[in-house]
Amino acid sequence: MNGRKTFGGGAGGGRGRAGQNQAGKDGQQRRPMFRRRKICKFCADKIDDINYKDTRLLMPFVPERAKILPRRISGTCALHQRKLRVAILRARQLALIPYTAE
Amino acid sequence: MNRKYELVYIVSPDATDDQVAELHTLIEEIVQRMDGQIEKTENWGRRRLAYEIGRHKEGTYVLELINGSGELLKEIDRRLKVSDLVIRQLAVRVDEVHEIVERTRSKRSEASRRRRVARGLPPDRQPSEGQRGDSDDDRDDRDDRFDMGDRR
Repeated sequence: MNGRKTFGGGAGGGRGRAGQNQAGKDGQQRRPMFRRRKICKFCADKIDDINYKDTRLLMPFVPERAKILPRRISGTCALHQRKLRVAILRARQLALIPYTAE
Repeated sequence: MNRKYELVYIVSPDATDDQVAELHTLIEEIVQRMDGQIEKTENWGRRRLAYEIGRHKEGTYVLELINGSGELLKEIDRRLKVSDLVIRQLAVRVDEVHEIVERTRSKRSEASRRRRVARGLPPDRQPSEGQRGDSDDDRDDRDDRFDMGDRR
């Protein structure tokens, strides 16, 4: 794609040159578009206990309309998304988190 | 069968402190009568509700950690439902969850110890190792394997 080494890494033409040099295999292979790999917040921070009382933890996962943020956007892993869901449901019952934005 | 439950109830903001205390003794009585124990009581004080319940916008939250049977919790739930002062309650069983959390935590620390030993480090983090949180520990490992293999 381009001959400039500065782009290096897996960013640009990594795929084309994969045969002759290792750039393409450098860690995670990045697509031409810059897309950050999503990381499950709970795995990364080692939060085992997703508690319904911890509103500070839950709030980022219920943006404006107070809907639960889907996994495909937040990057949360399946296990933690399930636990998160239960926690949010409970927090809503106790009026710690809104069901909907008014 | 003794289980651990967490009970949270919201008392109407119109209630006086005495009434809140009364409610607590009511629960205490039921718990004692059906041979359970109250492990902890926490009063979160008056909080804003995220949405209106009835016509209330605020409420006094009280949390109780109760050891007891399911029957006991059923009775408490019934009594709270009858009470006009309580506008919302939630009882959750917590012993199993605590156990699972405990297990994953010990498993993780054990695994990180094993990794450290494999790398020739003492099993526990030394204070001189700087401020890297525990979280980088195993993620570093994962990424390093790729990087080192290719570059060196």
